[in-house]
Amino acid sequence: MNVLHVLFKVDGTEYAMPAADVVQMESFTGATPVPGAPSHVAGLVQVRGRVIPVVDARVRFGLPAGTQSLDSRVVVGQLGERTVGLLVDSAREVLKLDPRTIQPPPPMVVEGAKGFVKAVAQVGPRLVMLIDFPRVVGEEAADVDGQR
Amino acid sequence: MTGNGEFAEFLPAYLAEADELLASAQKDLLAVEEAVRKGQAQPRAVRELFRALHTLKGLSAMVDVEPVVSLAHWMEASLRLADQAGGRLPESSVEPLVEGLRAIELRVRQLGAGKLASPAPANLLERLEALGPQVRDAAPRRARPVTLDAEAAFASRLAPSEREQLEGGLAGGQRALRLDFVPSSERAAKGLNINTVRERVAKLADIVKVLPLSGAAAGGASLAFALLLLTRAEDAVLLDAVGGAPATVRSLEAPAPAEAPPADLGPDGAAGLPGAAVLDEELDEPEVRRGGGLLRVEVSRLDEAMEWLAALVVNRSRLTRAVAALTQAGAPTRELTAILQENGRQLRDLRSAILRLRMVRVGDVLERLPLLVRGLRRATGKAVRLELDVGDAELDKAVADRLLPALVHLVRNAVDHALESPEERQAANKPAEGRVRLTCHARASGQLELTLRDDGRGVDAKAVAKAAGAPVPDSPDALLDLLCRPGLSTRQEATRTSGRGMGMDIVRRIVVEQLGGELRMDTRKGVGTTFTVCVPLTVTLMDAIVFECAGRRYAVAVGTVEELIDVAGVVRPAGADGVGLVERRGAAVPLVSLARLLDAPVDARAAGQDAKALIVRQRGEPVAFAVDRLVGQQEIVLRPLEDPLVRVPGVAGATDLGDGQPTLVLDLGALGAARAGRRKRASRAGERVS
Repeated sequence: MNVLHVLFKVDGTEYAMPAADVVQMESFTGATPVPGAPSHVAGLVQVRGRVIPVVDARVRFGLPAGTQSLDSRVVVGQLGERTVGLLVDSAREVLKLDPRTIQPPPPMVVEGAKGFVKAVAQVGPRLVMLIDFPRVVGEEAADVDGQR
Repeated sequence: MTGNGEFAEFLPAYLAEADELLASAQKDLLAVEEAVRKGQAQPRAVRELFRALHTLKGLSAMVDVEPVVSLAHWMEASLRLADQAGGRLPESSVEPLVEGLRAIELRVRQLGAGKLASPAPANLLERLEALGPQVRDAAPRRARPVTLDAEAAFASRLAPSEREQLEGGLAGGQRALRLDFVPSSERAAKGLNINTVRERVAKLADIVKVLPLSGAAAGGASLAFALLLLTRAEDAVLLDAVGGAPATVRSLEAPAPAEAPPADLGPDGAAGLPGAAVLDEELDEPEVRRGGGLLRVEVSRLDEAMEWLAALVVNRSRLTRAVAALTQAGAPTRELTAILQENGRQLRDLRSAILRLRMVRVGDVLERLPLLVRGLRRATGKAVRLELDVGDAELDKAVADRLLPALVHLVRNAVDHALESPEERQAANKPAEGRVRLTCHARASGQLELTLRDDGRGVDAKAVAKAAGAPVPDSPDALLDLLCRPGLSTRQEATRTSGRGMGMDIVRRIVVEQLGGELRMDTRKGVGTTFTVCVPLTVTLMDAIVFECAGRRYAVAVGTVEELIDVAGVVRPAGADGVGLVERRGAAVPLVSLARLLDAPVDARAAGQDAKALIVRQRGEPVAFAVDRLVGQQEIVLRPLEDPLVRVPGVAGATDLGDGQPTLVLDLGALGAARAGRRKRASRAGERVS
């Protein structure tokens, strides 16, 4: 059973997550920053009448800050009751991934990716990182009530 | 005199009650009309309608609203006769009743608007008065041969409509039974009392009546209840539901066609049962009239509860900070932390419980629509069927109140403009009767989706474009944008041909701006149009002051701001970490730059920077928060930030000021306190906590 995935790019690397977890993709025209939110939270955007937080994938992956461009996309993902956006450099491809081409990530990747990459898929000559969306989005709320 | 001042203090309660009674009366009258058209009796609705008018008359008499008393009186009188005739009304009586109800509604509205109720129109009163004889003439001359076992059914204690209901059920193949339940203390201990029995039996059968019995009728017990039922369930199942023996079941059907109608039993219903007496009938009416155990509460009281909850939440975050400080000081706080987490969960549960209190059923909100469509049917001469399929969905009262006018608009448009005349429809091979269907379902993530679908002519994009003086739109979204142009609603002639347009700008404003929802449209020429409205289940509305700071707009609740001042003559003591002092009525008030609190990049060139300040109490002390510019005061929809990533102290939520970008709604006191705490902790720990 091939599973439909949404592909996106962050700092030249290709990532993917199951299309079933993606509500929609929006172009990015800036977010309203939230003071006191974790640094990887770019801010709030309004998507179809709802206000959702957007996680900046570059900051989250510890990459150099990029510049916002016409290609920038917010991949809006569903996480149980939560809806969270992921800001990526571009996202324009939807692809069926054959489970047989999906391998566990090499240890070095695991270490470097802080557990955000849960598998690697081979698509022709390209390597695509399957992200662990819940972990990328996380729940860390900084400076809040000392809950964490 | 009508509605005079003497009763002013009772008026709010009267109006609330009258509204509710009118709403239920309208619903029942529609049911009656439907039945009348099909030539059926509708005993239950007639009875309910009678009761509503009876109560309305009594209430109106109490507050001395004579016109309503007169109108209700004549309507009630004819309905009483109809009730006695087994719930039958002649067709000619429906229209006067509708008009009567409308006249009452109008007068209740007048009272609500602080005016006097105008006198009841004399000709309407005459027509209502004339209804009585009409109803009596229309009543079936002879009662049908009774097939009920008169003795078992206490026939003489049954209202004609109840008897008809039992007989009708029998004729329809159901079993009419009498289930006797004998309460006792052991049974009560097992949770079996007349109320629970009612509930259980109601799941298995239609309860026509419950009679309390005493003496011999109670089968030896001092008290028993006879439940008269219509059911398809087996005796054993029913008995089981009421805890088995000594409960008994017996059929109400007479073994042979009874010749003597039960009325012949004489005035004493228990004639055949020496020594048995049926207790006062009123005892058997603990039945709640509408919807089971409802309580009417003023919204302001719910808001008050919410306020107290907010105070608890604030207190909790102080507690959390105190515990964090203890932990840092090396105190054993494990248990304290666990309790605190539990407390946090409880607060969340309490919050959602209070929010749930504010929810109303969508079905109840839409009660008015059938009447609206009925009026439109008459006004336009079109054949329309309104289908409501709204299930059990619920909606916050505040959302419902705002949404209803938008839905009314959409339904009116659908009937007025979208649906064709019966002739046109037949010519186009469509059923003569147009269909307007409203469905709704709750989506995950706190949104409610309503869909209004008509099978009319569809929106003519070309005509709309022409009316708007714009190029023909190439997508449904673009077409909707055109339809929602404010100018379009005034050009009625143009919109008539386009099929739609009346007030669409208002619909969009309500749905998108006021409720923060979404409006979509899908239309196919000749096939119909579908509007999809998506709104959040709850909203919090508040008056807010909007201001600019470091190039962004923010809002704060008006209630939290003590004063707005011009910033002048700031004193900046050394070592105060940028906190200045301003003078206010002889006292020094600390002045904090909001831009700094927000970690906003401060643009030194920005003109008017920190020119104004809002004075807010922070832990009881006034603090001035410097901002760049005041934008104004407006009502906003507060949307709480639910996601843990952005649930931070000092940010109450977000709102849309109309630019499609979320604007933060700040709680300045909490923000200042949180930042002050952070700075302190940071300096102590020697690092920035974030």
